[in-house]
Amino acid sequence: MSSFTASMRAFLIRLGRSVRSRRDASAFDEELAAHVAMHMEAGVAAGLSESEARRQALLKLGGAEQVRQAQRERAGLLWLENLLQDLRYGARTLRRAPGFAMTAIATVGLGIGACTAIFSLVNAVLIRSLPYGDPERLVYLFTPNPNLKIPAEVLCPGYGDYFDIRRENHSFASMSNLVQTRFSLDERGMVQKIGSARVDEDFFPTLEARPELGRAIGADDVQAGHEKVAVISHALWVSMFGGRPDVLQKSLTLDHANYRVIGVMAAEFEYPFGSDLPYGDSQIKSTQIWVPLVLTAAQRVEREPDNNVTIARLRPGVTVRTAQSEMAGIMARLVKQYPGDPKSEVGPMRQQWGALVKKFTDMSLGPVRPLLRLLVAAVVLVLLIACGNAANLLLARAAERARELGLRTALGAGRGRMVRQLLTESLLIGAAGCAVGIVLAYLFLRLLPRLDPGNIPRLNEASLDWRVLLVAVGAALFTSLFAGLLPAWRASRLELTEFLKAHGAQSGSSGHSRVQSGLIVAQTAMVVVLLAAAGLLIRSYVKVVSVDTGFSQSTVTFSVSLDDRYKKPEQQVAFFQQVTARLNALPGVIAAGAVNYLPLSNSESITLMHMDGSGSNINFEQAEARYVTPKYFEAMGIPLLAGRYLTDDDYSRKAGVTLINKRVADIYFLNRNPIGARISTDREADGWKDFNTVVGVVGDVRHMSLEEEAQPQMYYGNYQMNGAYVAVRATLPPAAIANEIRSTLKGIDAQLATTDIRTMGDWVSLASARRRFQTSLLTAFAGIALVLALVGLYGLMAFSVNRRTREVGIRMALGAERRDVLLLVMRNAGGLVGAGLVAGLACVWIVTRVMRSFLFGVSEHDPMTVAAVCVLMIVCGLMAALVPARRAASIEPMQALRTE
Amino acid sequence: MGDKTDVWQGTLALMILKTLETMGPQHGYGLARRIEQTSGDLLQLNYGTLYPALLKLEQEGYVRSEWGVSDNNRKAKFYELTKAGQKQIRRATADWEQTTEILSRFLTPAEEA
Repeated sequence: MSSFTASMRAFLIRLGRSVRSRRDASAFDEELAAHVAMHMEAGVAAGLSESEARRQALLKLGGAEQVRQAQRERAGLLWLENLLQDLRYGARTLRRAPGFAMTAIATVGLGIGACTAIFSLVNAVLIRSLPYGDPERLVYLFTPNPNLKIPAEVLCPGYGDYFDIRRENHSFASMSNLVQTRFSLDERGMVQKIGSARVDEDFFPTLEARPELGRAIGADDVQAGHEKVAVISHALWVSMFGGRPDVLQKSLTLDHANYRVIGVMAAEFEYPFGSDLPYGDSQIKSTQIWVPLVLTAAQRVEREPDNNVTIARLRPGVTVRTAQSEMAGIMARLVKQYPGDPKSEVGPMRQQWGALVKKFTDMSLGPVRPLLRLLVAAVVLVLLIACGNAANLLLARAAERARELGLRTALGAGRGRMVRQLLTESLLIGAAGCAVGIVLAYLFLRLLPRLDPGNIPRLNEASLDWRVLLVAVGAALFTSLFAGLLPAWRASRLELTEFLKAHGAQSGSSGHSRVQSGLIVAQTAMVVVLLAAAGLLIRSYVKVVSVDTGFSQSTVTFSVSLDDRYKKPEQQVAFFQQVTARLNALPGVIAAGAVNYLPLSNSESITLMHMDGSGSNINFEQAEARYVTPKYFEAMGIPLLAGRYLTDDDYSRKAGVTLINKRVADIYFLNRNPIGARISTDREADGWKDFNTVVGVVGDVRHMSLEEEAQPQMYYGNYQMNGAYVAVRATLPPAAIANEIRSTLKGIDAQLATTDIRTMGDWVSLASARRRFQTSLLTAFAGIALVLALVGLYGLMAFSVNRRTREVGIRMALGAERRDVLLLVMRNAGGLVGAGLVAGLACVWIVTRVMRSFLFGVSEHDPMTVAAVCVLMIVCGLMAALVPARRAASIEPMQALRTE
Repeated sequence: MGDKTDVWQGTLALMILKTLETMGPQHGYGLARRIEQTSGDLLQLNYGTLYPALLKLEQEGYVRSEWGVSDNNRKAKFYELTKAGQKQIRRATADWEQTTEILSRFLTPAEEA
C-alpha cells in the first residue's frame, strides 16, 4: 500500500464517519478511562496518594476534554460535518418558512432559466463548432459594382476572373465555386424539389469536409460526360435509402436524369444552408445533393458574373484584409486587361468590378450576432433582478432572525461560522433555483421550434449540453453568492452589545434598511430599461406588420418550376396559359395570374433601363423587372393608379407595352403623364433597343423586405417562364383553394411539383418572423423582470409593515386615520418606484441608442413608449404595495401594542 | 540540547510504529510510557496526543486495534502493527535516514575536498 492509497483510505473512513451522523464516542471514553486508570495504578505503586496520582495522570494526558476533541476532529472531517450540519439546519429553516423559500427559489429559478435558455441559443449558433474544418479561415469572394444598386454580397467573380485570381493569389489555400440549384427528385413516382448544389472538385477540400461513406466529387467528375454522379446528405441517405451501405450501388433520378450515388456526407453537413447565403436561393433551406459543376470552354473565360458562389480558405496567418487588398489588386488589373463587351448589358461597367473578401462566419452570423447580444443583455438584467430579489428576501429573513443570530453570537458562535451558515442557506436556494431554471430552459427549448424564425443558423440544434449546464450552475453560484453575501456580511457586523441593548428591536423609520431600498430602486431601474426595450420592439413590430405591402394578404400563392421536358418557349407559354386559364375558370376564383419573382419570396431580378428622350444612360438606372400574366394584378390586389392593366390582346399582339409602379412615375415623371412614355431595358452596342410603351401605373409593392421602401418596378406581359409563382384570389378559404390548385396542377402535369402553397399573409409572416422572434423573447423577459421586481417590492413592503406593526399601532392610538397609514406605506413604495423610474429612464436614454438597428419607424427615445413604461411601472408598483398597505391600515391598535 | 523537546510532528507516527514493531501489541498507555523511556526522557510527550495519532494510523491501515486484557487484568485497547505498517516503517525509515544524512553533510565539516 503506497502512502497515497493509505491517505485515501484514511480520507474515506473519515468521510464515512462524517456522513453517518451517529457518533461512537463511548468506545473512546472507555479507552481513555483505562488509560487514566493504568497511569493512576502506576502512580499509586510509586507511593503517591490516589488523588495526586489521578491529578498527575490527567496532567500528563493533557486534559481529557482536549484529547476527546482532538480525537473527534481526527475521526471525521470537521469541515464536512460543519457543512452537513449547516445544510441540515438550512434545509430545516427553509422548510419552516415555505413561503419565503418558494418565492426565493422561483425568483432565482426564473433568472437562471432565462439565462440558461438564451445561452443554449448562443451556444448552438455562435459557439459550437461548424462541420467545416476551421470556419474562421473560410471566406466568400465577391465583386461588388457601385453602378448596381444591389448589396455588395450578391455577385461573385465571373469564371474567367475566378480562374485568374486562383492562379495569381497568395492568400488562399484553396478556392471553390458552387451553384445552387433545385432538382426534382423522383422517388417512386413522388416528385419533390430538393435543395442541391453543383460544385467543383475543390468544394469539399476547401470546406475540409469528408464523406462518411464513399468519396467526394473529384477532378474527373467535373469533365463533360462524367458528371452524372451525386454526393448525398446523411438525411437523404436515411430517408431514401434507409441508411443502408449498398447506397453506393444505387442511383437517383434528378430532373429525369440518372445520377449514380458516389458518397454520403456526415450528418451535420448540409452546406449551404439558407442562412449561409443571404442572397442565395431562398427556397433552399439546406442542401441535400451535390453534383459536379461542369463548365464549358466558353464559360471558363466569361468575365461577367454568373450565379456562382465563390468560397475560399485563407492560408494560415493571412488576414481578411490582406486577402482583400490582394484580390482588389488582381481585379484592378483584370478589368483593364479584359475590357467589357460594350454590347452586353453590364459590359460598360466592367471597369468598376471591385473585390470584397468577407468572412464566412460574418456572412451567416453577421445579422444574428447583435440579436443574440441583445438577448444576452436582457437575460443578464433578468438574472441581476432575480439576484436582487433573492438578496432582499434573505436580508428580510436575516432581519427577522436578528434575535436568533444575536443569541447565537452571544452563545459563542464564531462570525465565520455564522457567515457560512447564512451562505449555506443561500446556496441551498441557488441549487434549488438551478434545478428549476434547467427545467424552465428545457421547456423553452421544447417551445423553440414554434418560435424559430427560420433564418437563424443552427437554432434548431440548441440543446442542453455540458456548456449550457455549466452556465446554469455558474449563474446559480453567482446568484447565491450575490444574494447571500450581503445579508451574511451584515449579520457578521451585528454588534453584540447593541443587539443586547436594543433587545432585537430594529432601528430606522421605514422598517427596512437602506441596502434593501437600494436593491429595489436598482431592480426597478433595470425593469424600466427592459420594458422600454421591449416597448420599442413592440412598437417597431406593429409598424412593420402594418406597413402597406401593396398587395392583398389573403391571396393564395404557389410555386411551380418546369423541368427540361419544357425546353421550348412555346411549351412554357402553353403551360402557363393552361394553368392560369384553368385556375381562372374555377368557381369561386376571382383572378389568377403568374409572376416570375413573387414579393417577399427573397428572389430578385434587376434590370438596367433607359427612358426615351432622357439622353444617354450614365447612371445605369435600374428597376426590378417582372414577367406577369394578365390577371396577376387583380389576383394580388395591386391597384391600378393610371392607364390600364395588361390584356390578353397585349400578349397575342406582342405589343411592346409595359406597366410601371408609382415609384418610377414619381422619380421620372414628376408632374408629367407617364402614359405613352417609352422605356427600354435592352441595351445593344449601338444603343437602347426594343422600347416599350408605358400603358399603366400600378401601386408600389414591397419586394425584398417589409422594412424597405418599394423600389422602381416594371412589369412585362409574358407567359414564357421556366418557373413561376402563381397568385390566386378567390372567395373560398385558403385550404380549399390549395386543394383546387393541387388537383388542377395534377390534371395538367402530374410530374411537376407544386411547392410553397401559402397566402401572401404567410409570406408577410415569414418576412417578419425574426422581428417577431426578437420581440416576443424580449417582451417575455421584460414581463418576467417586471413580475420579479413587483414580487420584490411587495415583499419589502410586507416586511416593513410587519416590522412596524407596533409603530402603526402607536400612530393609530394617537389618532392617525387608517387612510394616513395606507398613504404612509404607499408613499414609501411610491418613493422607491419613483427613484427607480428616474434612474431607469436615465439609463434608457443611453442604452436604447444601441438598439437603433433593431427599430423600425420609431425613434429610440419614442415618447409614447417612455410614457407607457412610466404608467405601467407606477400602476404595477402601487398595486404591489397596495396589499401590504391595506394590511397596515387594518392593524388593530390595541392588539399591535400588546405584541412585543 | 539539554531541554526536553516537543515531539516533532510526523516523527511520532514512526516512533509509534517502531515501538509496536519491537514490543508487539500494546495499549495506548504502555506505548506512551515506552516512547518516553526510549527517548531517554528527552521528549516532552503529552500522552493524549498519542490517541489521534493512533487513530490516523489505524485509518491509514498501518495499525489495527482490538480490545484485550492488560497485565494487571484491566480491559484495554491493544494496537498491533499490520503488514502495511511494516512496509511503512521501512519506507519511513529510509526517508528519515536519507534526510538525516543530507542534513549531516551540512552540519559536520567536510572531510574530503
